[in-house]
Amino acid sequence: MIKLLKAMGLINMNSKDFKLITGLLILAFIMIILIYIFKDNGAKAANVYYKNQLVLTIDMTLKTTKEYTVSGTNGDVVILYDNGKIKVEEENSPRHLCSKQGWISQSYESIICLPNNIVINITGIYAIDTIVK
Amino acid sequence: MKKLINQNTIYIFISLVILLLVFWLTNNNAKTYETSFSYMDTYINIKIKHSDATVANEALKEAERIYKEYHELTDRYNAYEGINNVYYINNTTQELYMIKLDAHLYDILAYGKSWYYKSNGIKNINLGNVIDVWKKYQLTKTGVPTNEELTKAGSIDIENIVLLEDNYILNNHPNIDLGSIAKGYTTQIVGDYFKSKGITSYIINAGGNVLVGKKSADTSYNIGIQDPDDSSKVFKVIIGNNIAVVTSGGYERYYEYEGVRYSHIINPMTLFPANLYKSVTVICDNSALGDSLSLILFVLPIEEGKVFIKDYPNVEAIWYTNDDQIVKSDGFNKYEQ
Repeated sequence: MIKLLKAMGLINMNSKDFKLITGLLILAFIMIILIYIFKDNGAKAANVYYKNQLVLTIDMTLKTTKEYTVSGTNGDVVILYDNGKIKVEEENSPRHLCSKQGWISQSYESIICLPNNIVINITGIYAIDTIVK
Repeated sequence: MKKLINQNTIYIFISLVILLLVFWLTNNNAKTYETSFSYMDTYINIKIKHSDATVANEALKEAERIYKEYHELTDRYNAYEGINNVYYINNTTQELYMIKLDAHLYDILAYGKSWYYKSNGIKNINLGNVIDVWKKYQLTKTGVPTNEELTKAGSIDIENIVLLEDNYILNNHPNIDLGSIAKGYTTQIVGDYFKSKGITSYIINAGGNVLVGKKSADTSYNIGIQDPDDSSKVFKVIIGNNIAVVTSGGYERYYEYEGVRYSHIINPMTLFPANLYKSVTVICDNSALGDSLSLILFVLPIEEGKVFIKDYPNVEAIWYTNDDQIVKSDGFNKYEQ
C-alpha cells in the first residue's frame, strides 16, 4: 500500500515517519475509545429475570448495601447489592456456579443461574435517568 | 510535484484530522447542567443537556425563580411582603372584600377549581383545614381524628372560592390548599419555559413529579418508579420522551396506626385518607394534568379510574395495590421495553 502510494508520488516518507503516523493514529483511536468509555451513560440498573419474566429492578446508582430475595426454581436466590456492584450470595444448585461468579458491575455483564432459571442483566437499555417517588 | 506534497504537509494534515476528530467527539455531546433546590416541601433536581453553557445556566436560574415564585404564591403557612398569596386569602377576615391577585395565582386557582367539576368533587382545593387536622395526627402518629373533629374543621365547599373577573377573588372564607396541584402545575411551567428557550433535552424531578423532554434523536429517557415499600428499589421503568410521570402515594408518604395505612391524600367524600393503593402513577404529556389525574385515580377504584382516564388522550396509569398487585391501564405497554 505504502509502496504503491510512494510510486504514485503521493507520499514521500521513510519508515520512521510511517511509524510516527501509525503511532498518532493509534493514539487517536485510544482517545476515541476512552471518550466513549467515560461518556455519561446515565444511571445503571440491574434487571433480574425469572423464566424470562422481569421480577426485580435494582437501581445501581445507590451507595448502599442491600439484600434482595427472589424465588428461583430450586428455592430462594439471595442477591446482594453493594454500592454499584451486584452478586448472587446464596442459591440452591448442584455446582453453585452463579454464586461463585462473584461481583458484576458493568453494563455488559450478567449472571446466569440456569438451575434456578434466574438471569441478572445490567443493561444500558434500562439505565435509569431519574426516579419518580 | 514531489515538493508540493512533502512530509510536513502530511504531518500537519494528519494532526489536524486527529484534532478535529477529538474536538468533534467531545463537543458533539452537549454537556449536562444541573441544579437542585427545595421549594414546596420538595427537593427539586433539574438536569438539562445543552451545548451552550450560558443558555443552560440562565435557564436553570430562571427555573429556580419560577419555583420560588409559585412556592410563595401557593404557600398557606407564611405571608410574604407585597404578595397576596394563599395564606393572605385564607386569613383575610374582612367581609365581602375583593382581593386583587397576581395573574399566576389566579390562573392556578381557576385551574385547580376546574378539577372539582371534572372529577365530580374528588379533587377539591378547599380542603386546607381538614388536611391540617390529619397533618397533626401524621406528625405524632398517635391516632386518628374523629368524624366530628374533621367536620368541624371548616367548610370544604368549593364555592367558598369565588373567582371574579380581572384576577380578583371575593373573600368568602375559603380553606385553600394547593398542595395537590402546585408542584405539577409549576413543573409544567418550567418545562414549557425550557422549550421556549430551545432546550429540548431535560429532566425535571420534583419528587412525585417528573417531567422529561427528548433525550436525544435516537434515545429515550428511562424513568424508574420507586417501590412504595422500599426506597432503594424500582418496581417499573417507564421509557419515553416528552412525558410527565406523576406518582401519588408512594414511599413513606403515609403513616400507620394500628396496622392501617393512612395516606396523605384525603378523600373529600369521607374526609378520610384514600387507602386503596400504596401508589398510583400516571404517565401523560402534561405535568399539571398528571398531578390531578394521579390524585383522582388514587381515590377511585381501579375500574372507575380506567374509565375516567379514557376521556384524556395519551394517559396511562399503573396501580400498586395494598396487596402488592401491579395493575396497568390498557395502553400502558407502549411505555415499556
